[in-house]
Amino acid sequence: MNFTFTDDQADFGLVVRDVLAGCRDDRGAAAWQRLGTLGFFGMLVDDSRGGLGLRLADALPALEETGRAAMPGPVVDTAVAGALLLDGPELDKLAAGALRVAVADSASTAADADLADVIVAWPRVASRDAVSSQAPQLRVRLEPRPGIDPARPLFTVTLDGDTRELTGSAVTAWRAATVATAAQLIGAARHLLDTTVAYARERTQFGRAIGGFQAVKHRLADVAIAVEFAAPLVHRAALSYELPSGERDVSAAKAAANDAARLAAEAALQVHGAIGYTHELELRHWLTRVWSWSAAYGTSATHRARVRALVREVPRWP
Amino acid sequence: MDLDFTPAEQSFRAEVRSWLAEHTPRHLPSLDTADGFAAHRAWEARLAAERLSVVSWPEEYGGRGASLIEWLIFEEEYWAAGAPARVTQNGIFLLAPTLFTYGTPEQRATWLPRMARADDVWAQAWSEPGAGSDLAALTSRAVRADGGWRLHGLKTWSSRAAYAGHGFGLFRTSGERHHGLTYFLFPLDDVEVRPIAQLDGEYGFAELAFDGVFVPDSMVLGDVGQGWRIAMATTSSERGLTLRSPGRFLATASRLVDLAADAGDPVLLDRAARCWTEAEAYRLHTFTTARRLMDGTEIGAASSLGKVFWSELDLRMHTLAMDLLGDRAAGTPWYDGFLFSLAGPIYAGTNEIQRNIVAERVLGLPR
Repeated sequence: MNFTFTDDQADFGLVVRDVLAGCRDDRGAAAWQRLGTLGFFGMLVDDSRGGLGLRLADALPALEETGRAAMPGPVVDTAVAGALLLDGPELDKLAAGALRVAVADSASTAADADLADVIVAWPRVASRDAVSSQAPQLRVRLEPRPGIDPARPLFTVTLDGDTRELTGSAVTAWRAATVATAAQLIGAARHLLDTTVAYARERTQFGRAIGGFQAVKHRLADVAIAVEFAAPLVHRAALSYELPSGERDVSAAKAAANDAARLAAEAALQVHGAIGYTHELELRHWLTRVWSWSAAYGTSATHRARVRALVREVPRWP
Repeated sequence: MDLDFTPAEQSFRAEVRSWLAEHTPRHLPSLDTADGFAAHRAWEARLAAERLSVVSWPEEYGGRGASLIEWLIFEEEYWAAGAPARVTQNGIFLLAPTLFTYGTPEQRATWLPRMARADDVWAQAWSEPGAGSDLAALTSRAVRADGGWRLHGLKTWSSRAAYAGHGFGLFRTSGERHHGLTYFLFPLDDVEVRPIAQLDGEYGFAELAFDGVFVPDSMVLGDVGQGWRIAMATTSSERGLTLRSPGRFLATASRLVDLAADAGDPVLLDRAARCWTEAEAYRLHTFTTARRLMDGTEIGAASSLGKVFWSELDLRMHTLAMDLLGDRAAGTPWYDGFLFSLAGPIYAGTNEIQRNIVAERVLGLPR
């Protein structure tokens, strides 16, 4: 057994980190372009189809980096859910970074649907490109609805006319996308912890850096501990999401990642103090992203109910 | 990255499981009583005869040369079988790793096989009345004598010392604070041992009074004056995986889930399911740590992250058990476990100190 990332897996993450560094715009167009040239969006697509042929577990460090950067755009819906659900020419375009996917939840809400070329609304899928669509009478209606993160707008999706049934396994894709979102939350939490530690080393009050006060130290230590022990649950779920224990493991991972990231957000805001509560800093992008992603693919309450229901159902250890 | 046990690891697990199923004693008296101490030693001698007492040690010292992953498998099976707490734990989990790193070949050959068979049970002697969390404030000293040293001073909260035959600890040979400390091994024969009753009423602690106790040079561990560095190697074992393997928390969490499910209260079951998830997180995290150790990485200050996590998890689990059982907990292992779990955030460096270490040495916040 080797439950650590290989050099290749870690290096792919570092490349993504470098590519995303200093690349911020409102909806992520530039970052999308750069990741596309790396083959990021086709990372889970078979190499015979022009993808990188990675397993979800191989892609975790890279997904975590998109979270560290709070990268806008439907990253997980495209690179994970879309990659596992689509096929044919759409999949080829997706692998090339030339097609975006938005996935609607059970309340027909999809994030970033205005950017998407293909909309998935379980169990159906529709293309928004009326010209190239094989179903020209198709109509997709998007109605903006209030969201938490201005850089991750939400839409109520209605698919009218001819739509296709999904080809891949909806359950598998949903689980994989849930794990991937959990990985993004871990990345966002690490960013929040790093920047808050840096701020606490610089900001002085009472004649000393506030990071020297035990009340601040212990709060940040608790964030470090929460992130450190949420991450392995996410890594495990990436290995087991297709197994009988997958449903339980995926829910355990998402709940833990949600909670760790929200703890990091709360501590980050508290340690930054009043300036953190303003638009003066970039901190707010990570706060709203953490709250938004914690709701995406299931809140902690939803996932914990699932763990509760399943905890006695599947073998607890080998 | 994978979570796949090799065929060899699987067959090792099967062997351990089947041996334990047949031989694990039902119930032993507390190891902090004279009868219990003897019964626990006899049980561990039994384990040693199967080469199961210290599976990760080299064969020449009584082990099987098993990998850390196999040791973790052993621990999972040991605690799942409901086997007794280890009376030798201070020796095999804290002193032995230090002996392997800093001991002479003679010291290893003398002490390790006896420790593996529970012939010798070792007590730890770190704290003093004026030096607990601030261990470097210790004042016990060693004075040079012909062929060795004479130990003077008072050690306290010394686990297992009421019944053990040997101890290990730090004494000042020169200097101040972290400098000039030396790591000594000593027999308890000439030490005045004053047992101290713990919360459960048993004598899990003792105070040790040294009044010129002679120890030969052969019982100095590592170089004179290097004791702090050597002791820190031990305490990082104590905080890390070697003292508290995930197996014991997994077993507790699993029993807790059953207890909570039988109670039929979804709020309590939710707390149990969270504990189970956290025990799993500790298990998975430990697989990563074990692999890093096997690849030669030092864990160092990061062991403090784990110490806070497992000790507070253990307390949450036993607090929940008390909520589930009320005073029906009395006389069951849940109450003993509850009392023991309360000690977790204190021993091996309080969790307040651990959080300082995480903040300063892992995150890089100012001292």
